[in-house]
Amino acid sequence: MERILAQCKKELLQFWRFPLTVALAFLLPFITLLIYGFAIRLEAKDIPLAVQDFDRSPLSRDYIDRFTASKQFTIINLRSFNHKTVFNSTEYIQSILDRGIAKVGMIIPPDFTRKIKENKTVDVQFLIDGTDVVNAKVIQNSIPAITNFFLVSNGLSSGNQKINPEIRVWFNPGRLESLFIVPGVFTIVLALFPAILAAIAMVREKEDGNIIQVYASSISAQEYILGKGLAYLLVALGETIFTVVLGMLIFGLGFAGNPIVFFIGTPIFLATNILYGLMVGAFTDSQRSAIQLVGTTQALTVILFSGFIYPVSNIPFPISLLVYVVPAMYYMEIMRDTFVRGSGFSGTWHLVLPIVLMGLLEFVVAWRKTRKMQL
Amino acid sequence: MKITFLKKFFSKIGQVMKFRTLFGSRFRALAVKEITELLRNKQFLFILLFPPTIQLCLYGFILSPEVKSIKIGVVDNAKVLESREFISALSENKVFIVDRYLNSQSELGKLVENGKLSAGLVIPPEFPRDLRRGKTVNVQFFVDGVNAYIAGIASGYIGLITYNFNLREFPANVSPVINPQIYFVYNPGMVYSWFYVLGVMGMILTLTSSLSSSVESIREKASGTLEQLLMTPASSLEILLAKIIPIFILLNGVVITALIISQLVFDVPVRGSILLFLLLSGLYLIIGISTGLLLGTIAQNNMQVILTGFFINLPIIILSGAITPIESMPVFFRYITLLNPLRHYIVIIRGILLKGVGLEILWPEVLALLIFAIVLLAISSYKFRSQLS
Repeated sequence: MERILAQCKKELLQFWRFPLTVALAFLLPFITLLIYGFAIRLEAKDIPLAVQDFDRSPLSRDYIDRFTASKQFTIINLRSFNHKTVFNSTEYIQSILDRGIAKVGMIIPPDFTRKIKENKTVDVQFLIDGTDVVNAKVIQNSIPAITNFFLVSNGLSSGNQKINPEIRVWFNPGRLESLFIVPGVFTIVLALFPAILAAIAMVREKEDGNIIQVYASSISAQEYILGKGLAYLLVALGETIFTVVLGMLIFGLGFAGNPIVFFIGTPIFLATNILYGLMVGAFTDSQRSAIQLVGTTQALTVILFSGFIYPVSNIPFPISLLVYVVPAMYYMEIMRDTFVRGSGFSGTWHLVLPIVLMGLLEFVVAWRKTRKMQL
Repeated sequence: MKITFLKKFFSKIGQVMKFRTLFGSRFRALAVKEITELLRNKQFLFILLFPPTIQLCLYGFILSPEVKSIKIGVVDNAKVLESREFISALSENKVFIVDRYLNSQSELGKLVENGKLSAGLVIPPEFPRDLRRGKTVNVQFFVDGVNAYIAGIASGYIGLITYNFNLREFPANVSPVINPQIYFVYNPGMVYSWFYVLGVMGMILTLTSSLSSSVESIREKASGTLEQLLMTPASSLEILLAKIIPIFILLNGVVITALIISQLVFDVPVRGSILLFLLLSGLYLIIGISTGLLLGTIAQNNMQVILTGFFINLPIIILSGAITPIESMPVFFRYITLLNPLRHYIVIIRGILLKGVGLEILWPEVLALLIFAIVLLAISSYKFRSQLS
């Protein structure tokens, strides 16, 4: 046990030797939190819509206004882009989409008002940029609704909408995006930074060439690993307190229920990530490899596989199995529950177990690899 | 006169040529050293090439903003034909999956609270009576708002499904007056993966290029052999080039591999010019490498280099439109993304591969990348060389 503490102290001393590293380790997660927390918004708003209105009547202008009123679209004034008379409007809209000026183009035919007044059907063309699939689907879904709203408010529809859905959004009635994003950012930040620091620390002796001394000393593989792990766990806990407390203050998050799972689960999650870093470090020979490996795998996995932005349920079957081995996925659930849903212990205790399992697995792998080389 | 002039002339040429050969051999020696070291470190090569490949494949499959299979629980207090048809309309195109039927609203509520269900529907008992009388009947939906994005899309789908159901079941006596005809351009099959695969490619290139070059740049400082580097007769320019060029070549290999995988696995089309794609990717790599180089000069050891590397790269990835839409960002951030080279690079590759456009449309982004590349390369090589003298 003393050997673990001795190793831990040694690691902390080496960490502390560079004040710049310490500052970075604390500030960077926090700054990342700020940037992500404020910048990421998923709801489609202000999608640029280019309109070619060949009717130019009050009715067509009203129809266009409905799109602006929905707050989902901003109308692009096409006049500033082309002064020539345009004969083929579809090609013209296509060129607007090519240049990325708008994501969707709308063409209102010249007989718009006339046909409506005569109770005949009029076709309005919409060209949607299909490369941006996120927006494309949203646009596609909103067009019928906005169209219907226009018809009803102008008394043109017989109002056959007999079933009226009243929709209430629970836990987050304002659909505040920060409530969704910020717990996610906590997860990312707490998953990434400790793992990186641990990986580099693990490779340090190998890179410096001092590893022989470690092997020759009386420290056993598990004490070596645990010592390093403990040191960085302490650093990670510090990072967590700093980031989470400030994050809660800045974004106005509070505990939504009984946060006990958060308090138990967080150190376990940190430990698991540190063990991941240590495991990677055990297998790599140089800090450059360790950095590359942890950097690319952990970063992208945690961002993409944990349900940070896109739901985990979307992942198609065989690959969805992989998600179950990503500790960040479980922790993400815990975080979201802690800060938004608040179902407390009963709803989330089972999420801690997979994290513990992964941590144990990583420890065993790291241990066996390190043990092989002990003299 | 003439002879002295000629002598001077030839000696000048001799000097230049000597400089050239010296430049050549010293540079060559350094480059060979770097390349050999790189090749010998098979583990590093593997790590450089393999994870990006796997990740590209994986993430292309999993990233999908499509909202599907939302578990919804239903309390049907009417239990008539129309209510059952309404419920089955909900699960028609798999957006919702009717997970279970419950008997009371409070039971339903508890399951949503525990996160076991993501949405709930309660159909009131007066459903058949009101419909028969021609009145509008209200049905209650609630949606788990923890994931604001899904909640928004789910609400939108609820509206759309209900709207279409109404049109079908209760046709109006006049035909719908406005018929929106919707066409999808560039991607008629609405394949999600294309959009994201290219975004992931951009992300992977960003991470890989700056990580590997920053570690390379700081190698001597980190291993304490800086004095030896300072003492080599090679000029700082040669040292710099010898470090950058092997990485640059390797990373271009990553680009080509990524393109091949995208085509093979995801059928990503190449509607524009491949040459342009490769050239502009090379340009972007120069930006990434310069960034890494610069980070290496600022940091003191490996830990700092990767911490700052992530500090720079994570916002670059998120604020690039690769996986999160730029249009949805607050105005302030939307303007900041203009300073993000990855954003421009992604516009370029999506434009070339998916839309088939070329320089005539993409020139603003290309210009932006050129400016970034020149500025970053200048600053980073200046700092790198000055730390060697």
